[in-house]
Amino acid sequence: MSAFTNIYNLIFKRNSTYVASVFAGAFAFQAFFDAGVTSWYEAHNRGKLWKDIKGKIGGGDEDEEDDDE
Amino acid sequence: MFNSFRSASKRAINSKLVTGAVATSALTASYVLYQDSQVAEAMTAAEHGLHPPEYGWSHNGMFDTFDHASIRRGFQVYREVCAACHSLDRVAWRNLVGVSHTTSEAKEMAEEFEYDDEPDDQGNPKKRPGKLADYIPGPYANEQAARAANQGALPPDLSLIVKARHGACDYIFSLLTGYPDEPPAGVQLPPGTNYNPYFPGGAIAMGRVLFDGLVEYEDGTEATTSQMAKDVTTFLNWAAEPEHDERKKMGLKAIIITSSLYLLAVWVKKFKWQPIKNRKIVWTPPRK
Amino acid sequence: MLRSLARNSVGLKSLGQARTLSSSVTALKSNYDSPDFSHYLKKDRNADKTRDFTYFMVGSFGLLSAAGAKSTVESFLSTMSASADVLAMAKVEVKLANIPEGKNVIVKWQGKPVFIRHRTQAEIEEANDIDISTLRDPQKDADRVKNPEWLIMLGICTHLGCVPIGEAGDFGGWFCPCHGSHYDISGRIRRGPAPLNLEIPEYDFADPDTLVVG
Repeated sequence: MSAFTNIYNLIFKRNSTYVASVFAGAFAFQAFFDAGVTSWYEAHNRGKLWKDIKGKIGGGDEDEEDDDE
Repeated sequence: MFNSFRSASKRAINSKLVTGAVATSALTASYVLYQDSQVAEAMTAAEHGLHPPEYGWSHNGMFDTFDHASIRRGFQVYREVCAACHSLDRVAWRNLVGVSHTTSEAKEMAEEFEYDDEPDDQGNPKKRPGKLADYIPGPYANEQAARAANQGALPPDLSLIVKARHGACDYIFSLLTGYPDEPPAGVQLPPGTNYNPYFPGGAIAMGRVLFDGLVEYEDGTEATTSQMAKDVTTFLNWAAEPEHDERKKMGLKAIIITSSLYLLAVWVKKFKWQPIKNRKIVWTPPRK
Repeated sequence: MLRSLARNSVGLKSLGQARTLSSSVTALKSNYDSPDFSHYLKKDRNADKTRDFTYFMVGSFGLLSAAGAKSTVESFLSTMSASADVLAMAKVEVKLANIPEGKNVIVKWQGKPVFIRHRTQAEIEEANDIDISTLRDPQKDADRVKNPEWLIMLGICTHLGCVPIGEAGDFGGWFCPCHGSHYDISGRIRRGPAPLNLEIPEYDFADPDTLVVG
């Protein structure tokens, strides 16, 4: 049996496993996608963001508790 | 059959007529506007102020955030220069946290101002130092006080000024840096006003306020007039659109997701229709 | 869906053998001639791979739609949570250095009075000395304070919501003027109609000198 047959038997054959893996995949994808886009966005704007200039201010603020703003 | 052909040709003529009319009016309108822009009389385009040039703001791009170092410098300019006359009603001290200032810096600045507190047990009004949750106080108690201090002119609130003016950042920057040393010959200004070509009508109650070296930036940036104007404009744009950075990131995500969904939808549609479109019908006529 | 594709791709030439996938009995019995589609098929065709790919594409379509629907629902739900300005007002900071020992201070927190008492050593001992089994709402003093020096509680009588008076009553604590409830130096109900001890709000010491209520 080829790998394709295995994948078919494992996931696609039953609707329950198929739908379950689509929804599980949606959750995994969202986390992965968020992280990916954020890291690209921050790399694209490097040097302009608050986290880039934060360290340069007044010798760096000691313990900056992350506020929920 | 014939009727439908006639109405189709009629429709074609109609649509040509509409296109022609639109094109003619557009050309006429642009010609008239251009002619208007050559003179500076009342009811002409020049009355609405000189069109500001397009500047290359570092947050112009589709995926470009604000320059937060510039926001920080811009807040300094606002605080030391603009705040003498202009309020910033919609910005609270807490908004600066994580954008241009640290929590402790914002707290310190807030504590420099006094706010109304709950009255004491005898009902006398009390004051307390500001907190992060308080909004940045304006220079005047109310509109009347602001007008009285400015010869009848009301300095507008700056919270949303970038959104509230045509030309947005370009206009604010042009206005701040656009004061000529003296008005051009022949311009009659009402008393108490200054000439600025970018201001609609040309006569503005606000004088030139930014001069080289007016503030001292902590990061060593040279405080030229245009540098300060750029920084304060960036700051005001942030004040008007604090969601800006997050919005552009959201847009990037939305573009990626919707375009992938579109491509997948095209594929799935083709897949679903394939057996239907490929169907062949064969008919062999019966032999006599 | 997939079945109809398979039917097409196998071709309709020889009925009876190839159409085993069909569900229709009449189709099996049909003896019409059908055209041959087999030349449309790829030569090196891997049926399992094609099928997996098809399921994958349809699944990805569903996956992206599910992710989009999820974040749409999430953003609608998030409008129900408290906004930033409300959250910013929800906390009150108090500088404790200004409160001398044996003094009461009342601060407003979300419109409610909060009693802060800097208790003396004697008062702490007094609060601990009581046999809690005799109390109406038994609670140890240690359960009511994070730092025994500082007693922080909501200044709302648990009877009908009046604001009790400090340093009054028969037990050296608070006294509610409305219906005469007496609270002790730990804010516990000792006499009068109130059923419960004074409520303790959520609070924290940001540093030894700063109290954050909320």
